[in-house]
Amino acid sequence: MSAHLTDLPPRPDTAGELVDVPDGWEVRDVEQFLFREARLADENDYDGWEALWTDDAIYWVPVDGEGDHPRTTVSIIFDNRSRISTRMKQVKTGKRYAQAPPSNLRHILGNIELIGGRINAAGGTDLEVSANFLALESRARGNQLWGGRTTYRIRRIDGEIRLAYKKVVLVDNDKAVPTLGFLV
Amino acid sequence: MTALVPSPAEVVEGESRYDRLIQPARVHGTLYTDPSIFAEELRKIWHKTWVFVGHESEVPEPNDYVRKQLADQDVVMTRDKDGEVHLLINRCAHRGLQVCDDKAGNSSSFRCPYHGWTYRNTGELLGYPYNKGYGGKNKLELGMGKVARVASYQGFVFGSLAQEGPSLEEHLGAAKGEIDRLVGLSPEGKVSLDAGWLRHQTKANWKFLAENETDGYHPQFVHGSIFGVAGSPIGALYSDNSTAVTRALGDGHSENDLRPEFRTFDEPMRWFGTTPDKVPGYLASMAESYGEDAHRRTVEGAPHVMIFPNLFIAEIQVFNIQPVGVGECVQYSTAVQFAGGHELNMRMVSQSIGSVGPAGMLLADDTEMYERNQRGVEMADPEWLDVRRGLVRETVDEDGFTIGAATDETAMRGFWSHYKSLMEADA
Amino acid sequence: MNDEMHAVGEGPRHEVTLDEGAAGATVPAGRVVESEFASVAVRLDEQGNSVRLRVEDLRSGRVRFLDALELETVVWLEDGHLTQLLDPSHERWRG
Repeated sequence: MSAHLTDLPPRPDTAGELVDVPDGWEVRDVEQFLFREARLADENDYDGWEALWTDDAIYWVPVDGEGDHPRTTVSIIFDNRSRISTRMKQVKTGKRYAQAPPSNLRHILGNIELIGGRINAAGGTDLEVSANFLALESRARGNQLWGGRTTYRIRRIDGEIRLAYKKVVLVDNDKAVPTLGFLV
Repeated sequence: MTALVPSPAEVVEGESRYDRLIQPARVHGTLYTDPSIFAEELRKIWHKTWVFVGHESEVPEPNDYVRKQLADQDVVMTRDKDGEVHLLINRCAHRGLQVCDDKAGNSSSFRCPYHGWTYRNTGELLGYPYNKGYGGKNKLELGMGKVARVASYQGFVFGSLAQEGPSLEEHLGAAKGEIDRLVGLSPEGKVSLDAGWLRHQTKANWKFLAENETDGYHPQFVHGSIFGVAGSPIGALYSDNSTAVTRALGDGHSENDLRPEFRTFDEPMRWFGTTPDKVPGYLASMAESYGEDAHRRTVEGAPHVMIFPNLFIAEIQVFNIQPVGVGECVQYSTAVQFAGGHELNMRMVSQSIGSVGPAGMLLADDTEMYERNQRGVEMADPEWLDVRRGLVRETVDEDGFTIGAATDETAMRGFWSHYKSLMEADA
Repeated sequence: MNDEMHAVGEGPRHEVTLDEGAAGATVPAGRVVESEFASVAVRLDEQGNSVRLRVEDLRSGRVRFLDALELETVVWLEDGHLTQLLDPSHERWRG
């Protein structure tokens, strides 16, 4: 829609060329990073989770499959680094009622697959990884099973693995979904 | 609780059931929990009055269609080849199957997958396979079901399942002016709702949402967490010192009129939380279209209006509330897009994503309240919900509408008064 | 765009363009199917809620959109029925 917008940047999931998996990545290290990211989210370690992100971060949860362009159509989440920070500040007030009290939550990751190298805006090459997930959430509302496929782009900065991009495609994002107050 | 007082659900001679349940200062909890009341609401409200269904911009081209919901009815909104918009009930006249399965498409006709019965996108039956079994072509006076009345206002499409009743314009009444105010912020006098819809499942009765939308008492509490960290000025609009007013617009519609606050500041785009230098293209187009009046329009901003029973325009977002059952509804929300809106349109998409939907930094918290509210009213005592706030100070404005202070429950009382009149009417 | 090429057939054929849309952008009218008797541009159009075939009679400028179910119907038209439609008095020069 709104196809007349000429200054529209490319959609982030296909922006940048996809090349071969770059050298220097061990699957085991990548998995450990993804597991840690999920655990920080599950255990509401908001500072630890936020610290994983790069400055050019994109955290995207679209609707209707892969979603339409997130600048011209609505998504469940489309956060840049600054909005991730706002989201964390809000939840840390303890009065973000959708997540106060926090959900009891556990993610399971599987089908972890190194997709390739993705050329980023700075000309570097991020590692693109995909994984399936299930997350069981327990709240007063009831239990909710969330599931989908997540695409991550990660890079090393000063020897640490950091997260530059995370797109979560929920399997049921074509239907009405309940409040998603936790970090998916 | 005392056994000497008849139960609110009991009908006493000479009184309607709703006289007992809906009183000037309080309403009864069973209104949100009783399945028989919900069933009656479907008949007397959702299947009868004008219900917001969608927007013409969702079917921009001839033969476009989208699937929509009208309460419990699965509806296909179509635009026929001549441009007219129809609301078909998604049910085959043969065996009752759902005819359309995709969420949207473009087709002049629909073919049921079960036995191939084919309909025009106006609902008329075009034909069926192996017609000798029916004595030939054109032998059946059947078609897809249709929403009896379809009308639109400024592109907002409403349907009424009742053959007769007030016209859409009569139903909208004073709320028309609020839709006009929204559309008047487009340099071309036109809005579209083509930025997609978020769908938020909500385990609460639909009336909690309708009441909350123009409740100016809750924002500082429910949304304090985001107002604080985002440095938002919205909280002050709903403070006890605010000059904003809550207005019952009649027919169950209501608004939080924030214009008195924005007029005091006299700053264009303050209503959107931004400054003119961020949206120069938009403001230039507004000035070109409206001359000196562009200043007033961009100072006063967009409306915050709840249109009975299910259309909520929250400045730059539009909500479509549809009930699923007595304790469940879905909130559909999208970002308004202004024709000629320039850079403002993408900003409205971005702000909407941040605010509304299942992870929105405002609406997820409202929804948490709706759901806790639903669990709360399942409790036995106290049986009533109090809606008296502002009764001691409400007044009537120059147009004859009841107004209260920014944090008063004037809007809720307007809602209940209209609700009661509909529920007391003969089915 | 590749779909359009294949929709019409292989090999170079000429393309025509037309002005369309508020932005004034030039959009190709499509690949041209032509003979000495008729000249028709065809392309896939994605302005609607699902893709359609846009067919333009270049001699008159008349445009018709055909959706998937209509196209399937055309495929299944009996030759005799299609031939009847080709009778110039059937629609265009009636009476």
